[in-house]
Amino acid sequence: MKHKKRYQIIDIIIMSILATGIVIFIMVPFFNILAEAFYYENKFDLRYIKSLFDNKTLLFNSLRLGILTTALTLTAGICVSVYIFICSERLQKFWLMILGITMISPPFVTALSYINLFGRRGLISYRLLHLSVQPYGLTGIVLMQALSDFSLCSLLLYGVLKSIPGYMIDSAKSLGAKTNDIICDIILPNMLPGIKASALLTFLRSISDFGTPAIIGGKYNVLALESYLAVIAQGNLPRAAAVNLLLILPAAAVFVPYHKNLKNLGITSHGIETSNSKIVGKGIVYNCIKAIALFFLLWISMQYISIIFSAFTRMKKGSLVITLENIEETLPYINQTTLRSIIYSVIAASCGSIMGLLIGYYMQIRKIKFFFWIDLAATLPYVIPGTFFGLGYLLAFRQPPLMITGTAAIVVLNVIFKQLPFSTKIGNAAMEGINIEAVNAVRDLGGGRHNEILDVILPLSRRQLGLSFINAFTSTMTTIGSIIFLIHPGHKVLTLVMFDVIQSGKYNIGSVLALWIIIICIVINGSYMFITSHSS
Amino acid sequence: MKNFFKVFAGIMFAGLVLCACSSQNTASSSSSDGSGASKDVQQSSDSISKDESGKVSEKNDSGSSGDKAAKDLSGTTLKVVATSDKYVKLFDEFKKQTGADVEFLSMSSGEVLSRAKAEGKPMADVWFGGGLDAFMAAKADGMLELYKSPNAGDIPDQYKDADGAWVAKGITVAGFLVNDSVLEEKGLAVPKTWKDLEDEKYKGEIIMSDPSISGTNYAVIKGLLDFYGEEKGWEYIEKLNSNIAFYGKRGKDPQEKTTAGEFGIGIIPVDESAFDAAEDNKLSVVYPEDALPWVPEGTAIFKGSDNLEAAKAFIDFMLTKEAQELIAELDGKDTAQIVKPGVKGLSLGLPKDKLIKQDLSTFGSSREKVLEKFKEIAKDKVEK
Repeated sequence: MKHKKRYQIIDIIIMSILATGIVIFIMVPFFNILAEAFYYENKFDLRYIKSLFDNKTLLFNSLRLGILTTALTLTAGICVSVYIFICSERLQKFWLMILGITMISPPFVTALSYINLFGRRGLISYRLLHLSVQPYGLTGIVLMQALSDFSLCSLLLYGVLKSIPGYMIDSAKSLGAKTNDIICDIILPNMLPGIKASALLTFLRSISDFGTPAIIGGKYNVLALESYLAVIAQGNLPRAAAVNLLLILPAAAVFVPYHKNLKNLGITSHGIETSNSKIVGKGIVYNCIKAIALFFLLWISMQYISIIFSAFTRMKKGSLVITLENIEETLPYINQTTLRSIIYSVIAASCGSIMGLLIGYYMQIRKIKFFFWIDLAATLPYVIPGTFFGLGYLLAFRQPPLMITGTAAIVVLNVIFKQLPFSTKIGNAAMEGINIEAVNAVRDLGGGRHNEILDVILPLSRRQLGLSFINAFTSTMTTIGSIIFLIHPGHKVLTLVMFDVIQSGKYNIGSVLALWIIIICIVINGSYMFITSHSS
Repeated sequence: MKNFFKVFAGIMFAGLVLCACSSQNTASSSSSDGSGASKDVQQSSDSISKDESGKVSEKNDSGSSGDKAAKDLSGTTLKVVATSDKYVKLFDEFKKQTGADVEFLSMSSGEVLSRAKAEGKPMADVWFGGGLDAFMAAKADGMLELYKSPNAGDIPDQYKDADGAWVAKGITVAGFLVNDSVLEEKGLAVPKTWKDLEDEKYKGEIIMSDPSISGTNYAVIKGLLDFYGEEKGWEYIEKLNSNIAFYGKRGKDPQEKTTAGEFGIGIIPVDESAFDAAEDNKLSVVYPEDALPWVPEGTAIFKGSDNLEAAKAFIDFMLTKEAQELIAELDGKDTAQIVKPGVKGLSLGLPKDKLIKQDLSTFGSSREKVLEKFKEIAKDKVEK
């Protein structure tokens, strides 16, 4: 009994920490930055809010960009995932590996390599095809955003496909269905919830991205970039806040109806066998899908190869030479920063995945109503643009009781809570896969809450914990928007160094750093997967 | 379960109070920004500056023969925000002389201003480099420590603030980077003057950065206004504007995109790195023959710096002849871009007599007005 009492207290403490953490580190910054938009020279004033509606171009530009990017990313994602699902096992492994690597997309790099490949003097557009094109504007941004988002999207959709019960496909085949019919009548309809969720994620990512439009937007300006510029060029925080506020409108408009679909992303196979007999890769639908998929897969491979290429080459007196100079020059930039980035990311990934799981546990298994709200609040960082979230931290934590601006803590806390939405979604999905009877059985046998968590929940959700860790680690290693305004000298992380060198025109060094970030992610994620899969 | 709700309700209540407090704090601190708080700061800084200048004048009298030597600052850390990451060597040298570690972050001037304002505390100890307008604005906002380095004695007055809020580390000069092959393809001659750029034949071939983002390009606009005179200046800028496809959103855009062959002519800060890039990529650098716009690069100490002693030591160090030579090397500066007398830089061929006679006193104060008018002219370069 005494033990039970003690665990009960621990239980309450955990719940309180989760809830207060989310209130303080998500809600408080959010309302702080929201309030900022209503100030002018430190007095309540609606001028920035009013001025937003004078010029609706930016809003429409953002919307147009978001919709087009989402459409293209989904087309690519659907085709690639279906193609990989159907193609031979060896190819499957290969393409999954490519997707796994290209999912790690350090900021800005694709946009820059795009100019090298498709610009007026681009390798492909000019030297191969002898075209003279201006790569700037909406098309460029859409292409690059789609390219950097579709890997993740394909992997998520592939996960959804794997969960289609095998008997459905088997019985269709035994009834003589052709590949065309299987794709159109079984696979695509079953993907729909996953497609909606990916669409939501892509749309939100697209409209809050400021880096790609800054590099290849040309005349085309969007809200996210405008708000970033309001800070760095005009030093106008209220205006930045107001512009971001406008960005939240479309985000919320798609988020509210679709957020329920998000849970499909961490989908588990619920123990149902996937189909053993392969679907035959033929038919017009399949071939179209294959063509589109290969186009995108080859394109993304090419962009990544061009990153590697520019990491090892450099222009010298008019000709391109292979050299290790870029790497040599990068070394002074990365010594301390690398370790710091890894530590921050590991903390964010560990805390995030555990918090996500616990939130899922209290919501799904314990059915505590209150956690519905906590879960909703935890999703907020997805809807609001990274810079907005970062500026919120700046305003919320610049005075007592929690004065942490300029410390490492503010950066770490920011990245933990920034990627929490994904972790909670995966946590929820994991809990849905757990048979509640198993949990009840533990209780019937006299086990306490701690047995429930340690003996049932954790072992059964190891895969999702891993997924959530990897995702959080990767996104923290590649994040820039939410922390760019929080970092002080002495807390620099790799993405920021990369941002710096790219800003000062050292694209080759930027490529080396991008490569370095990709390698770190692969090594850490790989060893994490290795350890978890071998510890059982 | 009930227990949980009791405890949680308690915590939430506390949280709410905390929230309310913090937002109240913001409100009250922001409302008092203009009056009480800043006055306090102002006063304390006044007193500092007074006894500083007192000391300084003494030191100046006694040690005017040479630059002040460095003192021992081992174990302390100096935090610096700089315009770029190229100054590592300079910071290492400072560490060698004083023992102080240097941690730096590169940041645009605008970001320095808005973050320091938002955070309500200094970004770092020292602010190293950036357009003078930002330093002038920061001084007006009371963000800078007033310090007159004994080593600044021989710096001409126009390159240092009369109250000691900032001192220039050199000047940036604007010119053209030309991609010859792009121009050749179109049968265009290499432009030699600003006047040339207004020719319609260059339409779509010129790139410059948005002057509200790039300090150099603000200096170009401001300089050309001083050169041509207000009215003619704006006429010129309108013509130039019609030849520009779009304004870069990053300071390095013109150099990068001209190098990549996206444009024929980029308006850039001319330094050795431009000449190097030109050599490696078969481009050419042009000092316009009619006029050279320029801007001093400021350095300053933030008010409320955690390590004031090291910050002052750094400014002293930065103004020594040796450090100035190192800066000239790192920045790739021509001798004409150095503000400290007697320091030799590189010989890039900068025609010193073409530097525009600029009114620096209005450099900061007229920024908003100039940019406002510019925005009006350039508005067609933003897609509707």
